[in-house]
Amino acid sequence: MADTMTEKSIEEINERIEDGSVRVVTADRMSEIVSELGAEEAAKEVDVVTTGTFGPMCSSGVFLNFGHADPPIKMQRVWLNDVEAYAGIAAVDAYLGATQLSEEKGLNYGGGYVIEDLVAGKPIDMRAAGYVTDCYPRKDLETTITLEDLNQAIMVNPRNAYQRYASATNSTDRTLYTYMGTLLPNYRNVNYSGAGALSPLYNDPDFETIGVGTRIFLCGAGGYVVGMGTQHDPIHRFGTLMVTGNLKEMNPEFLKGATFHGYGVTLYVGIGIPIPILNERMAKKTAISDADVVTDVIDYGVGRRERPVLRTVTYEELKSGMIELGGKEVPTSPLSSFFMANKVADELTSRIEQGEFFLSPQVERLSRDTVVKPMKQPELPLVKDVMIREVKTVDDRASIAEAAKLMMESQSTHIPVLSGDGKLAGMVTAWDISTAVAKRHEELSEIMTKKVITAGLEEPLELVIRKMERSNISALPVIDDERRVIGMVSSDEISKLIGKRKKWQWKLRI
Amino acid sequence: MKLLLRYPLPLDEMPYTAEVILETGAKINIDRATRDELIVDVPGDDVEHVAELFREKGVEVRKLLKLITWDEERCIHCGACISVCPTRVFTFNPSWNINLEEEKCVRCEICVKACPLSALACVE
Ligand code: SF4
Ligand code: SF4
Repeated sequence: MADTMTEKSIEEINERIEDGSVRVVTADRMSEIVSELGAEEAAKEVDVVTTGTFGPMCSSGVFLNFGHADPPIKMQRVWLNDVEAYAGIAAVDAYLGATQLSEEKGLNYGGGYVIEDLVAGKPIDMRAAGYVTDCYPRKDLETTITLEDLNQAIMVNPRNAYQRYASATNSTDRTLYTYMGTLLPNYRNVNYSGAGALSPLYNDPDFETIGVGTRIFLCGAGGYVVGMGTQHDPIHRFGTLMVTGNLKEMNPEFLKGATFHGYGVTLYVGIGIPIPILNERMAKKTAISDADVVTDVIDYGVGRRERPVLRTVTYEELKSGMIELGGKEVPTSPLSSFFMANKVADELTSRIEQGEFFLSPQVERLSRDTVVKPMKQPELPLVKDVMIREVKTVDDRASIAEAAKLMMESQSTHIPVLSGDGKLAGMVTAWDISTAVAKRHEELSEIMTKKVITAGLEEPLELVIRKMERSNISALPVIDDERRVIGMVSSDEISKLIGKRKKWQWKLRI
Repeated sequence: MKLLLRYPLPLDEMPYTAEVILETGAKINIDRATRDELIVDVPGDDVEHVAELFREKGVEVRKLLKLITWDEERCIHCGACISVCPTRVFTFNPSWNINLEEEKCVRCEICVKACPLSALACVE
């Protein structure tokens, strides 16, 4: 079968780039071309399909070499504009990660911004600290540097260009601020990411041309694919790439520091990958459209690793601006930029057409069977491990005096209030009772909290603690699916258990 | 035109808006209210008269030409602001750059937090 196909080599395509006869189209136009001409003709007509993506890519960063100080220092720690870079590599090398936060400004400034500022040529304040050795007598230093002053600044991004990305919504009744953006309560919006039909890896899902050594466009510079990215998950079409490029050749237009409110700092990265149309098969593969790229809508209201999938959706639907969710039309927002992704693909197209960018064959194919494993961790303590099962409850028709008496007898400051059918109707605390006395209330239903924060039997304590902190409460009822009270968890019990298990604690100073 | 009204006392104790509507017969729309601040939409012809009446009652009145500012240089046209805005101020143009209809804004500030590039801000 292969011999009946048009087969081109990368060398042939590069010759056409050289002599200016190369034919390049962006990936979004390819589906039209293939449906018009058929894959065989399209493979003859088109030499290169350009793809592009421009989105928040947290797993990004740069290796920097500062040159030696005089007297020399062996940096153990280094800060750039107050953002720490990892300095545990030789004396004056460091790796600055995009999501590292500023120690002063916290979520409003961090690694992504320092990288953008470097590329924009801005001066960066540098502080370093080390320990004294015979060859490195200096203990600390302070200076100001620009990109030009560095020997090398090499971007190495461990996980970029996700083939596709899940989209996010929120079932809870409070706004969530996530790496998937602002998620309004009660499924009121859906956010998504990724470039859809323009996505580099979606146009070469079996990695026939994109592999180790593939030359790419990275933030304005020429770059390379290092290999598969971290968390590369080809089986589920969540392939990723590790990429590299020279920061000194980058253009600030194609890389931007950014903050997701309440989540932190990231870096928007522009990546363009050319796909050589070597044969009919590649013409077919690059002919995908947004309607062919399917992803999941996931409920970020669930704070666990496995979050519920509410439905599947295509990028065509997502890009229409509205999708149907639980019988309602819900507005959608992309977090990555189609405008900029197009710009990346257009820029790559014009560089190839101008003879400024040549293709390289892959040195090695990316893995097609790597699997992504969850973190190995000790068993998680759950609500059922600490909850008190003997719970005194009070009927919602009881008097305040009765509730107060029960509190005294049971030595507990939080009492669940049940409605006639035995289901949780509210909570009453010692504080509510004292307020009631002061304000001369009579009815329990007048003073109890009706919007009760509850826990489930199988909920990790870590999440219950977050709930308690957020609402400033110290105990909450554990309920079953029918809203029947089956226990109570209190912060005292939790801290006893967690205190025994946790050997260390870390606090972010912001 | 939108007016920002700052009340000397908490709103619920001051039925000024109702009074002004009665006195002027103007079709005043309340876009947004907090305890001491109100954004109202007033038909063009009535603006001067309405503003004057509010001022007479001791209410601070500011004409709002723009409720939000957009730093176009910083904007990457992602669209993160689109789905969170209750009044659909943001839309995509056919070439996927963002379009603003600022006059629809009710200054809820949600988009300010939602913009990853900090390109949006509310006019003080
Ligand atoms: S969220 Fe900010 S950067 Fe994105 S389109 Fe809106 S204004 Fe522009
Ligand atoms: S402040 Fe932003 S989100 Fe709110 S109405 Fe105005 S434009 Fe829309």
